[in-house]
Amino acid sequence: MYDFDWSSIPGALPFLWDGMKISLEITVSAVIFGVVWGTLLAMMRLAPVKPLAWFAAGYVNVFRSIPLVMVLLWFFLIVPQLLRSFFNLDPNTDVRLTSAMIGFALFESAYYSEIIRAGIQSVPKGQVAAASALGMTYAQAMRLVVLPQAFRNMVPLLLTQAIVLFQDTSLVYMSALADFFGAAYKVGDRDGRLVELLLFAGAVYFFICFAASQLVRRYQKKLNAHVAH
Amino acid sequence: MISIDNVSKHYGNFQVLTDCTTQVKKGEVIVVCGPSGSGKSTLIKCVNGLEPFQSGNIIVDGISVGDPKTNLSKLRSRVGMVFQHFELFPHMSITDNLSIAQEKVLGRNRDEARGKGLKLLERVGLKAHADKFPGQLSGGQQQRVAIARALCMDPICMLFDEPTSALDPEMINEVLDVMVELAQEGMTMMCVTHEMGFARKVANRVIFMDKGQIVEDDSKDAFFGAPRSERARQFLAKILQH
Repeated sequence: MYDFDWSSIPGALPFLWDGMKISLEITVSAVIFGVVWGTLLAMMRLAPVKPLAWFAAGYVNVFRSIPLVMVLLWFFLIVPQLLRSFFNLDPNTDVRLTSAMIGFALFESAYYSEIIRAGIQSVPKGQVAAASALGMTYAQAMRLVVLPQAFRNMVPLLLTQAIVLFQDTSLVYMSALADFFGAAYKVGDRDGRLVELLLFAGAVYFFICFAASQLVRRYQKKLNAHVAH
Repeated sequence: MISIDNVSKHYGNFQVLTDCTTQVKKGEVIVVCGPSGSGKSTLIKCVNGLEPFQSGNIIVDGISVGDPKTNLSKLRSRVGMVFQHFELFPHMSITDNLSIAQEKVLGRNRDEARGKGLKLLERVGLKAHADKFPGQLSGGQQQRVAIARALCMDPICMLFDEPTSALDPEMINEVLDVMVELAQEGMTMMCVTHEMGFARKVANRVIFMDKGQIVEDDSKDAFFGAPRSERARQFLAKILQH
């Protein structure tokens, strides 16, 4: 029987916390960028201007058809060099975090744009007609009438996607960037206690994601009650 | 005020409107009726350009609706419209529903817009509901708010697209009362409706449409007294039966 030894965890907590901060940083930046760029993509896709719609559809289809690991790998290989040459950075500057953030943000935008597109389409057409009839331009109707309603309906889906994204950030371990998972792996490797550390990391991921999805569920119930009203 | 001249519209091969011609003078109340699918809602939506049309002309207050150079948003801000399903903005309070377009389209300041909104809300008898949300009001109340919202823009004329068709029977009258009052104050109105009582009371003319064509365009008395076309007679017989 394997003898568990959890003693290396308490001392490693500050290091693990630093890793968690990196995971959260990537998640938050990708959500913010993903929602903004995803909204623009969704509006392009629904726009009557064909080239815009084609571009958005192409973007979404490309990113949704490539494994996330590969996107990230490309970004680790390409973006650091681009950033260094663009900003004239010292070759020793660590740009792995930035390139991870950009990779995740561009990838997640594709998924967010599909959620947002469905949200926009869930708002009845009559709302745009009413806004137009009051003299609003298309942009005003979108900004003041359609998007606020669309986002209210979409919040549960957007948050669920954010939870998935948070788990996916563990993929950055392959660039040796010490996110939470990477940090746990390093500590376990160092102390020869990989099993304990990975069990611990798994428990933390489970706790955070499960709690978050329960909150989302609760919010959704409240939302449904409000709509039924 | 509104001049519709030989307007035709089709979706692909399907002809929705065929050579529709009529005029609405300032202060007139026109009721448009006809069987469902006859194109009456489409016609009224062409008047403020919510529906594009392929041929013919519509002139509203001297401005050509079909002209691509026309600033449609600006024109629409001067033409009030009331929809079958109210289309209040559900994420805004009643007060905000009434003031948002005044602020964002007409550039009125917040206090002015709110004051105007409250005044019109009082006029439709709903001042007590100013802070509620649309979902908390009955259908009849929502439609009265929608009328007040359109009036907030100081429209030169009002378009009604089946304003009472989605309402429970006991709520129809509260909406019609507001419309009658509006008509009696001299508002230019074009109403798609099956409420023949309303037509008898305030309409100057009745337009009867069938299969995308204007079949009758008559004074109220002529229309109800002796409609010339067989189709209009049948229609009236059906809806006035009970």
